[in-house]
Amino acid sequence: MDGIIEIITKFAAQEPAIFALIIGLIGAAVISGVVNVGAMLVIWGERKVLSDFCNRFGPNRVGGRWGILQLGADAIKLFTKEDIIPGDADKGVYVWAPIVASMATMLVAAAIPFGALHIGGRNIPLVVANMDISAFYVEAALSLMAIAVFMAGYSSNNKYSILGAFRGIARMIAYEVPMGVCVISVAVMAHSLNLVEIVESQTVWYAFAQPLGFAIFVIALITDLGRIPFDQSEAEEEIISGYNTEYSGIRWGLLYFQEYNNALLGSILLVLLFLGGWHGPIIPIPILDIISPLIWLFMKVVIVLWFFIWVRSSLFRLRIDQVTDFGWKWMLPLSLLNLGWAVLIGSYFA
Amino acid sequence: MTTASEVLSSIQSAFPGAVIDSRVESDLRLWATIDSKKILDVCKHLSSKHSFDHYSGSAGVDWIARNEMEVVEIMASHGTHKVVAMLKVKTPRENPSVKSLTGLYWNASWYEREIWEMLGINFEGHPELYPLLLSDGLIGAWPWRKDFKGYPDLTTGERAVEITTPDGYTEYRFPPTPAEVEAGTVVVERPKYPTFQEREEMAITSDSEMIMHLGPQHAMVPGPFLLDVLVEGERVKKAFLDLGYIHKGIEKIMENRSWLQGITYTDRMCYVAALSNNECYCGAIENILGLEVPQRAQYIRVIVEELSRIQSHLIGTGEFLTLIAGVGFAPWQYMIMDREKIISLIESVTGARLTHSFVRFGGVRNDLPEGFAEQCKKVLPYMKSRTEEFIELFAQDPIYHARMENIGSISPETGKRMGCSGPVLRATGVAYDMRKEDPILVYPDLDFKVITGTRGDSADRIDVRLREILESIHIIEQCLDRIPSGPIKPEAKVPKKLPAGEAYYRVEDPRGEMGMYVISDGGANPYRVKVRGPFYATFQTLTPLLEGTYIADAVAIAGSMDGCPSESDR
Repeated sequence: MDGIIEIITKFAAQEPAIFALIIGLIGAAVISGVVNVGAMLVIWGERKVLSDFCNRFGPNRVGGRWGILQLGADAIKLFTKEDIIPGDADKGVYVWAPIVASMATMLVAAAIPFGALHIGGRNIPLVVANMDISAFYVEAALSLMAIAVFMAGYSSNNKYSILGAFRGIARMIAYEVPMGVCVISVAVMAHSLNLVEIVESQTVWYAFAQPLGFAIFVIALITDLGRIPFDQSEAEEEIISGYNTEYSGIRWGLLYFQEYNNALLGSILLVLLFLGGWHGPIIPIPILDIISPLIWLFMKVVIVLWFFIWVRSSLFRLRIDQVTDFGWKWMLPLSLLNLGWAVLIGSYFA
Repeated sequence: MTTASEVLSSIQSAFPGAVIDSRVESDLRLWATIDSKKILDVCKHLSSKHSFDHYSGSAGVDWIARNEMEVVEIMASHGTHKVVAMLKVKTPRENPSVKSLTGLYWNASWYEREIWEMLGINFEGHPELYPLLLSDGLIGAWPWRKDFKGYPDLTTGERAVEITTPDGYTEYRFPPTPAEVEAGTVVVERPKYPTFQEREEMAITSDSEMIMHLGPQHAMVPGPFLLDVLVEGERVKKAFLDLGYIHKGIEKIMENRSWLQGITYTDRMCYVAALSNNECYCGAIENILGLEVPQRAQYIRVIVEELSRIQSHLIGTGEFLTLIAGVGFAPWQYMIMDREKIISLIESVTGARLTHSFVRFGGVRNDLPEGFAEQCKKVLPYMKSRTEEFIELFAQDPIYHARMENIGSISPETGKRMGCSGPVLRATGVAYDMRKEDPILVYPDLDFKVITGTRGDSADRIDVRLREILESIHIIEQCLDRIPSGPIKPEAKVPKKLPAGEAYYRVEDPRGEMGMYVISDGGANPYRVKVRGPFYATFQTLTPLLEGTYIADAVAIAGSMDGCPSESDR
């Protein structure tokens, strides 16, 4: 064991660039596994929970009565479907849109801490790229999805798609700004833009320290994820399926999957910024005490996701002009107000 | 109160010699044959002097034996009086042509278009005499004329031939002569008009506008119809409606079926309101026969029809909610679940969930089952509390208000002028309900309110529907208390052949005024059945309502009409 570590340290000292590359690749493999499996569980969870809300069964055939293998079956179906590219589509952009979408989510995943391990009295965060400005970076990378949406909508050469793409962009511009201001407010209070430090600085959850900012961030996040009541870019009763109308097979699958990847990552970001991240009482049982931060984070994320599904089953969809109105006329001033509050409180307690 | 004979004498004194023939059936029904030159003046007189402001529809009849055609204009009033006037205009079978009423009644447009495409009667002064239900290739065949041989030819088994006309259209010739088939170059006399697509393209004025299809296959449409919107960005500038995708020709089919078989066809016109369609057809025939319906049968009819109204309103509202909230919206599923309870009640009486064929001439098919009243007393209070909950739910939702209020508003005057009926008209504040207007069945004995709204917007339409459910529950409870025992069918057997005669009968369908005009020539089949569907009338108002709205609003407006293309296409 010691010998292996010695070889690795020696190699790292000799070839720092190659070492960093290898570590990065391993990290990338791990996070893409974690995020994608997580997103699959989110899809399954949404289908089951939404069915419960609507008094239906949801998936209950493939993989036992809980339908746990339904997603595997769906994925196989999507992979084996015929790949159709519309004749008049802008082929290059059309093909790249789902890839850009996946790339955007993976960029987010790289900087997000997926929890921590409690070893020797301190928390060791599980994060691939622990950068100084990770909160800012994550926020920026989340909005890259809008570019993928526009690429998909524009290149499809379809009336519904282009309208969906327009709506997606209008919505993103209206809500990224207040969302960013909320992140800044949190950073002001935490005196850091690093997500790990933001979590560690939360002796009081920021949801309680700045409730207004929390509310704005939740609304903006739902908008960013394109979920009801803000799913205008896909509103199927108006524009069929919006930006992904022309997509089919695995290309559609990728776009669809990224929405749930984003839902998962967005929920984690919300928990990290406002709900105390992995903070929680350490469970005094051997082994469980090591992963107890992970358990707390997981539980909080599940509650957040459940809340999103609850919202979906009980709210109406807003019109796109109402969405942008609300974003610019209410969300932005209120988020600036919240920033002032954060500066006041932050400087008072600092 | 104005009566039919007063209206008749008023016409006769104002226009001496205009009334060729007349029949006062009752205080509420006037039949008159009017000189075709005077029809427009008579209608003007009626609408201004006797407030005949409700143009109910018109029917075309082909009297092949008399070598003439007839257009029957059906007119009524919005609450001022209860007289329904049926004014007939005769025109020769060769080049039939009558005056159009579109200048006087806005909603005459569709009825006249339908008569033109089906019977070939030209309407002088109609601004847009284009096909409505039929496809372009069928224009010129005049399929509802009595000498139409069908497709394929019913007598010879010949099929129509496809012919390409000199101007590049594909035509079907019915029936082709052997010489024509041989030559293949027939000059078809085809009326000149721009096609649907050409009319759309004519409306585009700039590059930033585009035509967007909402239908015929779309998550928005309750059945296949084509709603095209001309949009600039998110704004709808103009809307185009094309129907006839599920035109079944039920009115023509019924001419070839026995009187009794016709009942099953009325089921299929609108399967969520099959019972009121049954009622309408049977009621008209009872009028021709002069049959008295036994009291118990009347009560049973009212009970099942009100149950049917409840389930129709539930699915109409529920489906509409998915349009503005997505399919994951939970209250939709709750409505469907509750509807299931009502459907089960109807099923226990009629034996079918949707297409009942339950009403019979002069009665009903079978009596209420054992324990029906107890079952109702369990379900109805539950239904009542649930409906109140739904009303509360929407009243409190700010997003619902933002989306629905002042969307697609219709003023009372516009509603009347456009010939709306049912919840759509009542939402504007006009208390117009056939159950009050036409004293049919036991409705005059029952206590119920006509629910009205105030703004006439989408939110009001939904609200009126939900509150009507409460009224229907109230009606059913009264019926269950009062229902007498006794026979459910007339004593004498209903004859296979009906005496010659005609009748117009109106019922309050869940969607509004449903009328049927039935003519018997003394044979075993109806000579003509004209259905005045409620959604057909409401449908017509959709295109002007959509102008200037957003795409999302267009969906909210179209959905709140509680559409049933199956009925409007027939």
